Amino acid sequence: MKGKLLDLVLVLSGLLMIAPLVWLIVTALSEPINAFQLPPQWIPRPPTLQNFQQVPDLIPFARMAWNSLQIAVLTTAGALFTSALAAYAFNRLRFPGRDQIFSVLLAALVVPVQLTVVPIFIMMRWLHLVDSTVAIWLPALVNVFGIFFLRQYISSIPRELDEAAIMDGAGHFWILFRVILPLARPGLTALGIFVFEASWNNFFWPYIFLSSPEKMTLPVGLVSLQGAMGGGPAVVLFAAITLVVLPILVLFLIFQRSFIASIASTGLRA
Amino acid sequence: MFHWDLLSTPEFAGLDNFKQLVSDRATIRAVVNTFVFALASVVTHIGLGMLLALGVHRTMTRGTKYFVRTAFFFPFLVSWAAVALIWKYVLDPAFGLANYYLSSTTNWLASPTWALPTLIVVDWWHTIGYTFIILLAGLQTVPAQLHEAARVDGANAWWRFWSVTLPVMSPTIFFATVITFIGAFQIFDPMVIMTQGGPDGATRSIVQYTYEKGFQSFEVGYAAALSLVLFVVIMIVTGLQFRLGRRWVHQ
Repeated sequence: MKGKLLDLVLVLSGLLMIAPLVWLIVTALSEPINAFQLPPQWIPRPPTLQNFQQVPDLIPFARMAWNSLQIAVLTTAGALFTSALAAYAFNRLRFPGRDQIFSVLLAALVVPVQLTVVPIFIMMRWLHLVDSTVAIWLPALVNVFGIFFLRQYISSIPRELDEAAIMDGAGHFWILFRVILPLARPGLTALGIFVFEASWNNFFWPYIFLSSPEKMTLPVGLVSLQGAMGGGPAVVLFAAITLVVLPILVLFLIFQRSFIASIASTGLRA
Repeated sequence: MFHWDLLSTPEFAGLDNFKQLVSDRATIRAVVNTFVFALASVVTHIGLGMLLALGVHRTMTRGTKYFVRTAFFFPFLVSWAAVALIWKYVLDPAFGLANYYLSSTTNWLASPTWALPTLIVVDWWHTIGYTFIILLAGLQTVPAQLHEAARVDGANAWWRFWSVTLPVMSPTIFFATVITFIGAFQIFDPMVIMTQGGPDGATRSIVQYTYEKGFQSFEVGYAAALSLVLFVVIMIVTGLQFRLGRRWVHQ
């Protein structure tokens, strides 16, 4: 009996948590006259896709989605690559000042991005990169957290494997790409999903650097849409939000296991 | 330490920016708001997150476990931009869900009393999934034998929680506290999208004020001074947490 009550409370609180998301999707699927009714409708009757078709009329959605995707892919690929190289160097190579440099890097981990935005903005202005997607992905190509995370991961891979490869005449790149990284795949996957998600959802950075609609990423585009619309069709905004939210939720359901495991073990956070 | 609007030549200002900072009432307001937000955020995340983790840890039904974990984690995956927009509609005084189900007519985001607490609730909704997963993972590291031993010694559930569960998972709680605090202290997105810092500065955060100074009124030197203050405060509080942590965190 006690167990049943606990289950009931847990399930109810879970439903309460997803209620706003359910409402979002239901509203996006409703006809404009039926949306935003009180009492709220929890099933779209009849469901329609017309709001989704109207999204491109309001914002250059495809363009923004392309920008978001381009930035997220470049950031993820770049961060994985540089993190792997740096992590290998910090863990496997010996060079003077290695540990000192690493502790300076760790200090950078606690510096909030909001703190670095002013100097980077000034630099980007010198490079004439303000209001360009380059300003978003370029600083993100090196990810201090990624270096730290992969270094921890690589340090758990036995060094005997490197030594065997060295015996066979392998160089550092061969060891890194053929021996270590294949073994570090779970770590790379977790880091990759995490960097991609953080980039896809990032608001602060693009909000500061991008001003023209055709350069914007989806989160900034959505917010600008809200401002421009006034009393316009909120259902279309809901359809646009749904299009941004749904891919990430589906991605999560597919990779749920490794994602949750990686958060639980390392404390990854956007 | 300069007066600079990004266009003209920077002019050396010595400590002027810092002097202005201490006497600027808006800065003090932003610092107070951010502290209130961060404190409330840590307490509600750790307290309710712990309760939730204990519940999920205890239930035997696999379906419930899976559903609750997924449901609580979903909002964390949604961009702050989307979260803020959805909640603006949920909280709408006229046709929002919140007022309908609470039978209220409060204009949550426009009320000087309610705006900040409302943002604390929305932030909780967005990030609790993260705290909860960390706490749940910590809970699962508590060895069952310890509980068994305590039970044999006649400890009741409450006592077992205090003397076994909490000490063993204290490193996890400590980690979650530090991370939640640092995250909360840098809060920016919901304020910008939902309230623009209003009403009358009641929800303006430090980072938001930095943004306004640096990118709207182009007082770059002042913005840089504000960022430095943010950094120093985070360092001090985190250092303090580590120091106090030594007293209660189990090694």
